[in-house]
Amino acid sequence: MEIQLREQDNVAVLTLSGRLDLASGATLKEHLKRLAEKNAVQVHLNLSEVEFINSSGLGALVSIMKEIRLQKGRLTLSNLASYVQEIFEITQLSHIFEIYSTENEALATYQAAAVR
Amino acid sequence: MISHIFTYPSSREVNDRVLDDLLRILSAGGVESDVVNGVCVAVSEAFTNAVIHGNLENPSKSVTLRLQVNDGEIIADIVDEGYGGVKQIESRKPSTEYDEGGRGIDLIRHYADSYRLTETESGGLKVSLRFLRTGKKISTT
Repeated sequence: MEIQLREQDNVAVLTLSGRLDLASGATLKEHLKRLAEKNAVQVHLNLSEVEFINSSGLGALVSIMKEIRLQKGRLTLSNLASYVQEIFEITQLSHIFEIYSTENEALATYQAAAVR
Repeated sequence: MISHIFTYPSSREVNDRVLDDLLRILSAGGVESDVVNGVCVAVSEAFTNAVIHGNLENPSKSVTLRLQVNDGEIIADIVDEGYGGVKQIESRKPSTEYDEGGRGIDLIRHYADSYRLTETESGGLKVSLRFLRTGKKISTT
């Protein structure tokens, strides 16, 4: 799995590509842990190029979400391919993640929250 | 009917190889694209369970995948060299939404048209998965 990172309006935006499974999930968790150490706890994951996800990848996302919430941060997801969305729904995780259709839509909610 | 048999080391890094092998065989068999993802997810779940919970990531133990692509169905058997555990798996409590694990069996149940857990003669666990190529569900055993 490849991870591209950029920052936009105080949000760490990560675009993931490839397969999200046990091994790559651990890599992603490590990546997010390093970001959290720099107080980057507003995190958006763009999953548009994730071609495969299994329960281990989902577990990594749950772990990341819990860690970010512990630090009073926020995690959003966007651009889920239909088969990825289906897996979120089968496992009922679509209820606990903030999922947006597009990255722009997700990032706009951070801006809206910042001006409140 | 041709059976494709693959043997993998008990490593969490091997899932990519399993998926590459699966995709190659499913593609060669002309398997419909809407079936492929479900097969990949279910086999990947069974493989990960075999590595982590079956073989406990012991490098001297292997996981075997036997794959058959037929006209109307796909059969996959995933066999580990662990300690069985059929009763424990069947009596497992469902995961809650904030659990980090425990969703693999739910995904297997969703995507496989039937699945069966048996203990091998040597005490390991065999997960037998069957997928219909029509996408039509049959009863789960």
